Amino acid sequence: MTDGHSDQEHAPHHVWYFGIFGALCLLTMLSVLFDVFKIEGSKTIGGINVLLAFLVLSVASAKALFVMTYFMHLKFEGRWKFLLLTPTVILALGLPLALLPDVGVHYYTTDVPQDSAHVTERSHTELETTAESPH
Amino acid sequence: MGLPIPNSKLGMWLFLGTEIMFFTAFIGTYIVLRLGSGGWPNDPNVTHIRIWAGGVNTFVLLASSYLVVVAHESIAMGNIPRAKRYLIGTFVLACVFLGIKSYEYYGKWQHDILPGHIAEDDSQAMTKTLDDFDKLLTRQYARWVPDSEASRLADKRTVIDARTKEASGSDAEQITALKALDKEYQTLRTQHQELKLKLVPLSERLEKLKQDPKYAPLLGGLEAHHPIKYGNIFASTYFLMTGFHAIHVIIGMILFAIPLWIIGPFFKSPLDRRWTDYVENSGLYWHFVDLVWIFLFPLIYIL
Repeated sequence: MTDGHSDQEHAPHHVWYFGIFGALCLLTMLSVLFDVFKIEGSKTIGGINVLLAFLVLSVASAKALFVMTYFMHLKFEGRWKFLLLTPTVILALGLPLALLPDVGVHYYTTDVPQDSAHVTERSHTELETTAESPH
Repeated sequence: MGLPIPNSKLGMWLFLGTEIMFFTAFIGTYIVLRLGSGGWPNDPNVTHIRIWAGGVNTFVLLASSYLVVVAHESIAMGNIPRAKRYLIGTFVLACVFLGIKSYEYYGKWQHDILPGHIAEDDSQAMTKTLDDFDKLLTRQYARWVPDSEASRLADKRTVIDARTKEASGSDAEQITALKALDKEYQTLRTQHQELKLKLVPLSERLEKLKQDPKYAPLLGGLEAHHPIKYGNIFASTYFLMTGFHAIHVIIGMILFAIPLWIIGPFFKSPLDRRWTDYVENSGLYWHFVDLVWIFLFPLIYIL
């Protein structure tokens, strides 16, 4: 299974893994507490409370950084990690940002069955053809 | 020349890069769709999303990440029995995660919170309720007119009169009650087809029927459905994200099972120092699975 790599990068970096695990658990408890005690601000975007979203996603990012830096050992790896992760992150963020102006923002009136006030006639006849059970 | 890491590790990291894009596609789509919708089912009584399940699962995955990292440390130092123990621990915690997830999925299936199954306005809710009523009546009729004889409700109805003549005593009473209930159903169905039925009167009528001692045992758990706006897109994104994540968990479990049980005789794992890189790479994959869940938990269970 080894590929004949040199021994240098396996020089023991002593990481207190249990301490990192403890920190991760505390951060998880923190985000649960944010929800249980309803730490919410006044501003809401798209039905999501902005302050709660910011707090909870910050906690998630912190946990992710702990896992990546210590568990996945990235703290002790070379500069290739940036070469690999930078395009990945750019592309990963690019998709939601590209969709946001079209799908994520409302600047037109929605005319969908679940929002439309006058739903009876049209959707009813559509449903008739599918509603009759085979038995 | 080249990177100071084994080829396998580079390969795994490149794969993880693609996986990051894979999951951000789904999570990004969820975020964008949710921000763009005019409302989103949020009430835990409607969505049946319980934060304790997500919280326990988060803790389980974090613990399994810790165990796999210690397993790698052990095998790098040559402590094979310890590495084996911790790898088995990781596998067991993965099973626990899937167990809790299955419990959640079962709850969703029970409440019919599935993509395409959710009524989003009053008309769809009434149609769904009446379809449930129809199925219930078919089941009740099947006690007297088995499916082998007539499977469709309409056919069962034509046969039931002959049964009434043959039946006696309490059986005849039950068939009479069933036929009366059937009449109620047909009235409601006709009203609905003529666009005269409204959801609140329908659910009140069902409650009245359930309180009638004649019909109560027949009606069982029939409930009027209520519309859940944007419920179908909610169910779609929920199952997409958590389903793919669960598939990745299963793949991770296969990776751990290979040196433990799959290769070599079942009770004698071939694990030794040569598997160090394999364990490290499987650990990297497992940490990635954990990372995805770290983001899924707040996005689905908290926000």
